[in-house]
Amino acid sequence: MNIRLELAKLLNLCFVFASAYMFWQGLSLFANTDSPIVVVLSGSMEPAFQRGDVLFLWNRNTQNKVGDIVVYENEGQDIPIVHRVLREHHSKSESQNKQFLLTKGDNNAVNDISLYKNKKIYLSKEKDIVGTVKGYLPQIGYVTIWVSESKYAKYTLLAFLGLSSLLGGE
Amino acid sequence: MFSLTQRFQVVSNQAITFSLVIIAFVVASSWIQLLYPSNVFQNTTSAIANVTPSMTLRTSRYYGSQNGKPKENVRVSFDLESDFSPLFNWNTKQIFVYLTANYNSSGSINEVTFWDDIITSKDKALVQLKNAKSKYTVWDLESGLSGKELDFKLHWNIQPWVGPLVYGETDISGDHKLTVEARKKNTESGDAEKVSKRKKKRTKKQKVN
Repeated sequence: MNIRLELAKLLNLCFVFASAYMFWQGLSLFANTDSPIVVVLSGSMEPAFQRGDVLFLWNRNTQNKVGDIVVYENEGQDIPIVHRVLREHHSKSESQNKQFLLTKGDNNAVNDISLYKNKKIYLSKEKDIVGTVKGYLPQIGYVTIWVSESKYAKYTLLAFLGLSSLLGGE
Repeated sequence: MFSLTQRFQVVSNQAITFSLVIIAFVVASSWIQLLYPSNVFQNTTSAIANVTPSMTLRTSRYYGSQNGKPKENVRVSFDLESDFSPLFNWNTKQIFVYLTANYNSSGSINEVTFWDDIITSKDKALVQLKNAKSKYTVWDLESGLSGKELDFKLHWNIQPWVGPLVYGETDISGDHKLTVEARKKNTESGDAEKVSKRKKKRTKKQKVN
């Protein structure tokens, strides 16, 4: 066994992970949001977005317009919700950047008030909005849903990665 | 020489490059179709008429009421005509059209949706509504809507099969400005009675549940 070669392989692996992480963080910085790419998890925006569709977010706008599709997170919950802005209210004075939004899923019968926490009836653009949807790729994200929801898929993926790293020596 | 991972890498790299080229082509060609022969961002028109408001008082949080104070809720009925068929091209999955109203209140600028619709095919792209009811009941965040001047606009949003979302506004003609009249004083007590009755009903319902 050549230790130098094994170490070089390890370094290569680290490089792959580091560059993936850098790509994600760079994108976050560019779009000014925690998650610049999200996968749709529910059917509440059908037929526009189905489960597994990939959305690209942008969060450098200080205000949203009615009709924008936004991603928000409720306090204390890590589930991103993708819904459309139904109403917006913002202050007349330029200095105050506050905006209140009411959202609704296209496929839902009623607005989101029942989803908001702490008896809120509006979202705050500043605090609650993760980003505004700008771009769309169909279905590709289904892999992540598949891996996170089916343990067989997870083990298959892990087995594949493990095998290929074991067998992959030059 | 050629390991399993290497083969996999080469194949996946080629697949990614190939699909990126296809996506770029689809997006570019659909944008050209939106701009030529006629620019849909400027030439989509709509006509609105007979906008009539109706107001109720609600005390539920789901209708904007806070601390049990009755809240003015406004619905409108309206006639609307517009043709969205030029927005359909081979990268159009659906068009979301929405009728909004802008208004100013004491401290803020507001835009609210009264009606919206999803159009999934070109044959359904002609919108012709007579005496349609608004889908949503609208309230103001701070106070009431009475006395506010609503300015109606019809917007559209193209949801593509792939690529960026496209937004635009129609050039609206007709009587699109409407001032919501204040509620008459003598009906106020009547409204309040209705409200309290509704409250009683609701508490009963909750007990049953």
